[in-house]
Amino acid sequence: MTAIEATYAAVVVVLVLGFSLLAGVIGLKWAHRRRVQAHNKRRRSYLRLLSAHLVSPTPTLTLDDRQFEDDAFIDAVIDIRNTVAGDSAVVLKDLIDGRGLINLQAARLRSPFPLGRRLRAVVSLAEIGDQAAGRVLMQHLSDREPEVRIHSARGLARMRYLPAIEPMLERMRYESPLVRSKFGDALIAFGTEASWPMVGFVRVHQHDDDTTGLPEIIRAIGRIGEREVGPALSELLHELENVEICLAIIESLGSIGGPRSLRPLRKTFCSDDWRIRAKAASAMGEIGDPSVNPILFQALGDSSWWTRRNSAGALAVLPGGINWLYDGLISHDEFARDAAAEALADCGELSAAKLRFDSGEGGPRDLRLIRYMDRPGLVFS
Amino acid sequence: MSETKRILVADDADAVTTVITTALEINGFDVTATDNGNHALELATTEHFDLAIIDQLMSGMLGIDVLKRLRLEGNQLPVIILSGVDGADIVVDSFQSGASDFIRKPFRLPELLARMEKHLSTAAAKTST
Repeated sequence: MTAIEATYAAVVVVLVLGFSLLAGVIGLKWAHRRRVQAHNKRRRSYLRLLSAHLVSPTPTLTLDDRQFEDDAFIDAVIDIRNTVAGDSAVVLKDLIDGRGLINLQAARLRSPFPLGRRLRAVVSLAEIGDQAAGRVLMQHLSDREPEVRIHSARGLARMRYLPAIEPMLERMRYESPLVRSKFGDALIAFGTEASWPMVGFVRVHQHDDDTTGLPEIIRAIGRIGEREVGPALSELLHELENVEICLAIIESLGSIGGPRSLRPLRKTFCSDDWRIRAKAASAMGEIGDPSVNPILFQALGDSSWWTRRNSAGALAVLPGGINWLYDGLISHDEFARDAAAEALADCGELSAAKLRFDSGEGGPRDLRLIRYMDRPGLVFS
Repeated sequence: MSETKRILVADDADAVTTVITTALEINGFDVTATDNGNHALELATTEHFDLAIIDQLMSGMLGIDVLKRLRLEGNQLPVIILSGVDGADIVVDSFQSGASDFIRKPFRLPELLARMEKHLSTAAAKTST
């Protein structure tokens, strides 16, 4: 065989392999599409059957066991479950209980099926489950698959299964950042009923060597926004040396808001740690009480750039804060002037000052801001 | 004997359209369903309907925009807005835009039917006067 013939043969082999591969991929995609279409067709047909069953005075649903175990049927049940309430939901629940759909999905979840099948089972339990499903889902908070753990937590929160709060908090200490974040979202979905158990958990573990998960739990408390837990969080703030946890508490106090959150935040402004001062400035801005304007004004001259920036940003959103920022422009401290000018520009005050000036309504402070921002060598605009 | 009432149901969730359509057909209504806001507007402007049930979040056009367009064109078709979104803003927006009623998902079928009957009889009374 000559070199040219060998080259031809190699090219032919490569082409045949390439086409075979392409044909395989196309075939697989086609088969998948057909399967999805068939699934949707069956789902729509089950939707019609279930709808008729719900609105008829007498039961009309006659399906065999294979149909009841069909994934498309479960999907239809979930869709209808999210659509109707009242008596129709009760009829649907009777159907779910009567046909043992929860037990079926629980068995699938426990089985060594591939992940896709187990995920479908856990999602089904999360969507249509009741207290019995809650017990099953709780067992899978420590499942080998992170996706199953996440959906279990989501389902438990959806059905407000309160016994799951403590195990979920415990799991937060061993999970990856992604799973912790999803567990945090699930805890938020429990609402105010989860606030005190979460505060209690933080109290118990605040001095542990490993505080993994505690910042996420504290932030979740803040996002729930139960004002009654504010003082308890504030107490923790004064006992702690762990900066990450302190930052999370300050952030949460900002989200919770109210005068009882403001008092401890004022104290944190005396901290030696610039991260705490900077976070406290943002939290004060979030609370929205203008009584802190003088404190934030003082902080425009802080030694930390972040504290100056966050204090100016907070003043920009607080009632009357803009006037304090204009006062900051005539500060003897150049850093304070820069921070005030940047915040005024960021909140649109520079454009407003220019408009006022162009229309002949501008005052001395408008001119001061415009001139300050036009200084040569200024790095921000 | 009264004539069959025509109802337009628009929602991109087929579970919602199927449940409502089935319930209404069993109760003797003639139902036309669509899953697209633009198509819903086209149907409502080109065909006669006695009442429309329109979902707020739909592909093509938002339910509230369909409602606003209908009112801009002087179409006084009674419209019930459906929404799965929480919050008072959407309720206020719906009524300010001319909705006859607002129902939150998941909904109770008897309640939906009762509200529909009320709006249909109000519309019939207005027409007769």
